[in-house]
Amino acid sequence: MFSFPEITSSFYMTAAPILVLVTGAMITLLQSVSRRFGSRPAIEFVMWVTMVAAIAAAAVIPGEQVGHLAGGLLSGTMSRFAQLLILAIAAFVMLMVRDHHTGPAFFRGELSSIFLMILSGMLMMVASDDLVSLFVGLELASIGLYVVIGYLQPNRRSQEGAIKYFILGSVAAAILLFGFALLYASCGTMRLSGIVANLPSVASHGWARLGALMTLVGLGFKLALVPFHMWAPDAYESAPTAITAFMATTVKVMILVMALRLFAGSFSTMAEVWYPALVVLAVLSMIVGNIMALVQSSLKRMLAYSSIAHSGYMAVAVCALSSAGSGLPVRAILFYLLSYVLVSLGAFGVVMALETPDNDQLTIDDLSGLAKKSPWIAFAMTVFMFSFAGMPPTAGFIGKFFVFNAALSNHLYGLVLIGVIGSSISLFYYLRLVVRMYMSEPVAPFGAVRAVVPGISLTNALLAFAVLGTLLLGTALPGVAMERLVRTSADVVARK
Amino acid sequence: MEFFNSHVLSILTFMPLVVAGAIFLVKGDQFARIAALGGSILTFFVSLHVWHYFDASSVKVQFVESYVWMPEFGIRAIFGVDGISLLLVMLTTALTPLVILSLWHSHVAHLRYFLASVMALQTGMLGALVALDLVFFYVFWEAMLIPMYFIIGIWGGARRIYATTKFVLYTVVGSLLMLAAAIVLYISYYRQTGMYSTSILDLYNATIDPRTQLWLFGCFALAFAIKVPMWPFHTWLPDAHVEAPTAGSVILAGVLLKMGTYGFLRFSIPMFPVAVKSFAPVLVFLGVVGIIYGALTAWVQKDAKKLVAYSSVSHLGFVVVGSLALLADGTLSPEALTGALYQMINHGVSTGALFFLVGVIYERRHTRMLEDFGGLASVMPWFSVMLIVATLGSVGLPGTGGFVGEFLILLGTFQSSPLTALLAGSGVLLGAIYMLTLCRKILFGPVKHDENKALRDLTPMEFAYLLPLAILVIVMGVFPDFFLGKSKASIEHLAKNYRSYSLAVDAH
Repeated sequence: MFSFPEITSSFYMTAAPILVLVTGAMITLLQSVSRRFGSRPAIEFVMWVTMVAAIAAAAVIPGEQVGHLAGGLLSGTMSRFAQLLILAIAAFVMLMVRDHHTGPAFFRGELSSIFLMILSGMLMMVASDDLVSLFVGLELASIGLYVVIGYLQPNRRSQEGAIKYFILGSVAAAILLFGFALLYASCGTMRLSGIVANLPSVASHGWARLGALMTLVGLGFKLALVPFHMWAPDAYESAPTAITAFMATTVKVMILVMALRLFAGSFSTMAEVWYPALVVLAVLSMIVGNIMALVQSSLKRMLAYSSIAHSGYMAVAVCALSSAGSGLPVRAILFYLLSYVLVSLGAFGVVMALETPDNDQLTIDDLSGLAKKSPWIAFAMTVFMFSFAGMPPTAGFIGKFFVFNAALSNHLYGLVLIGVIGSSISLFYYLRLVVRMYMSEPVAPFGAVRAVVPGISLTNALLAFAVLGTLLLGTALPGVAMERLVRTSADVVARK
Repeated sequence: MEFFNSHVLSILTFMPLVVAGAIFLVKGDQFARIAALGGSILTFFVSLHVWHYFDASSVKVQFVESYVWMPEFGIRAIFGVDGISLLLVMLTTALTPLVILSLWHSHVAHLRYFLASVMALQTGMLGALVALDLVFFYVFWEAMLIPMYFIIGIWGGARRIYATTKFVLYTVVGSLLMLAAAIVLYISYYRQTGMYSTSILDLYNATIDPRTQLWLFGCFALAFAIKVPMWPFHTWLPDAHVEAPTAGSVILAGVLLKMGTYGFLRFSIPMFPVAVKSFAPVLVFLGVVGIIYGALTAWVQKDAKKLVAYSSVSHLGFVVVGSLALLADGTLSPEALTGALYQMINHGVSTGALFFLVGVIYERRHTRMLEDFGGLASVMPWFSVMLIVATLGSVGLPGTGGFVGEFLILLGTFQSSPLTALLAGSGVLLGAIYMLTLCRKILFGPVKHDENKALRDLTPMEFAYLLPLAILVIVMGVFPDFFLGKSKASIEHLAKNYRSYSLAVDAH
């Protein structure tokens, strides 16, 4: 039986950040047709008010330890964590874009509106307990992203990337939706909590198993796990870098939170179905991602393949969810996610800081001799690369430690071995960037990259924040961060 | 003072890092020189304090500090020294000021970043030596790589990028496996006791089934064998040494390589005692191959620096052989172990001096080829004296530290396996041949090249950093007890009790 959820005041409390964002999106959309209120400062002002209000709503209205149903939305700590993380990423990207040459184009009515819509979709998805609202949130975010990729800087290349992403993303969405439909058909409910309750009794049923598998494929597409990764390098490369940064980080947050809810909860009863498939995806992603990243000359493509490899590492921790004692993997995933988001924003931030309107497709050669021209930027990028490579004393090392820890606790020795091999390969291309910056003479003509002067500027402040965060999460703060994540993960684990 | 006494090891470890940070932030080479020298000398004095107040009769770890880092996972920052790490700490703190002095008049670009890297590297090395927590050890172990990577990669020779990348990749492949093994160890301790702990003092007490021990020993040993480096994992070393600047080579040979052999003594042997029995013959075999292979390869080198680099492979083979001399009753030979530890220090001193000396002539002639020299004894008498002293220390002439180390190793090994001792002993002979060849080709004979006729003898500054090493070579040969006295108890404890090893904490 399907009945509409009752809308209560607790629903409004839970949904407040989403409602704020939708309101903001409407206002900016109306502004864009107004001559009087449609100026860039006015739109930017509305956007910031919306963002601050949404962040405040997500931060102030407390998440409860164990999520409860509030009209299809979960108000647990997990939802709040993911929502705040996504909003923080959005704020970081918006600040970066202000200093960037695409800034004027970004703060236009229709784009701002779409951006806020994407955010509301993401916030909805990470808090959703209902397959329908989950899917709607995901598609709201994805369709917005297709548009933004092609629209922010309309040229042939970015439109091609947008179309590719759109076609492959739609296929993925269709598969995911089919999976959801099969799950609904076999469990008789749209609610994740209902599926948790019903799945064990139908776990041996073919439709339920196919549904779980198709859901996994859909998630693999979105997470760009090999062999479903084809869209990622093209989309990452052709999108304006601000959008690449936004997409690379938020989509991972969204999908991993969903994966946690599913795999630590409902799907753990049919681990034998999805676990081998996920192992294959993880192994392929770690190997193919790292090897393909070796041969890239475009900086953004290299980062794209590296992000595929990092999805692979995170998938290793998801694999560890299959057996008992899922507290460790959940925390490992959340910490890895946190450090990945921080470092990715930093690395793409460096790319943005160096781009000029004439050269917005940086190659690795363009970074040659950067340490002489912009020592501060080179230092920041070095910290990010070492963190990506998992070297102490950075956040990346702690993340890798916990992922390996989670996997080894569950006897996944082979996966860890592949992870070790992958990390060794990855070190090669991360170090190559450092070599270019510090040990090579410039080969690119003068002015190919923007010279970033040290001093007080928005870009420098944001990069300094990312550098400090990366180093602190690797040295002084992992204990504190983990303690927070333990509380966050209680929400996921309790559903089991 | 109270604060100093209770935090002496963290002050020792992190002071160089603070100095490095200051050098990084403050512009100007002169400030960098003074800060680096002052900082490293101050660090040396702090280590002297540790040395002085270290209780030689006790096998406990001393000056212990413990800080909570991630209580949820039982990861604490624990620092402490015992007789084994103490000597290596002293070696590190003593070498660093000399390295800074050698850079004083250097004309390299961005000198202050070089000095900052050296200081940061010192924190990495000291941290790895005093850390008594697996995670912290790993953090310092890996963090050590980053400054060395830049030292070779920025200030190195023509093929520096190849060399530095190879160096880092080799090391990281080994250490990632070690990380995985460390986590397995950590998990099995948790399964046994229900408590998370990464403190190696706790982990010594874990009982691990023999099969797992083999795997874990293998992973740890691979990481350490690459670092030592043992044949056949040594190929990164000649490249790294040849391309590294002189100061980099000195630190690399002087201290960094010892991290590998130290790792065997601190981790592999006491933690996986059952596996020691199975792995010891393999490692000893590789060590002996390393001794002979390194010596023969050194013999045919035309590049002086490469020759010294291969001699390191040979010398560290001795250390490995000495660390794993199993006696009939299943204990390790304390003599051989003592010799191994002494040989680590010795190699640091004499090979450090040799790299400095090669640097001295390279700076004057911009070549290191042996054929470009000859007859320098008449042109550079003081240089010749230093080179001969360092050579004698390296070949182990009686009266130098090298003799004590090699003699003890061979003595202990002979009790364990006469054949091994015989083969390893041939390395001593070969060592004399290739090192004396080096001396002969550089110092003696007629001055073949006109450029060499007017070479300047050692400058006062070069004298200043070479003389302490030359004195040490002799003093270590004449008064070995002064150095080994502090480690005797710890070494014997390890040799006798490695199968049920535990380290108590000294509550001072």
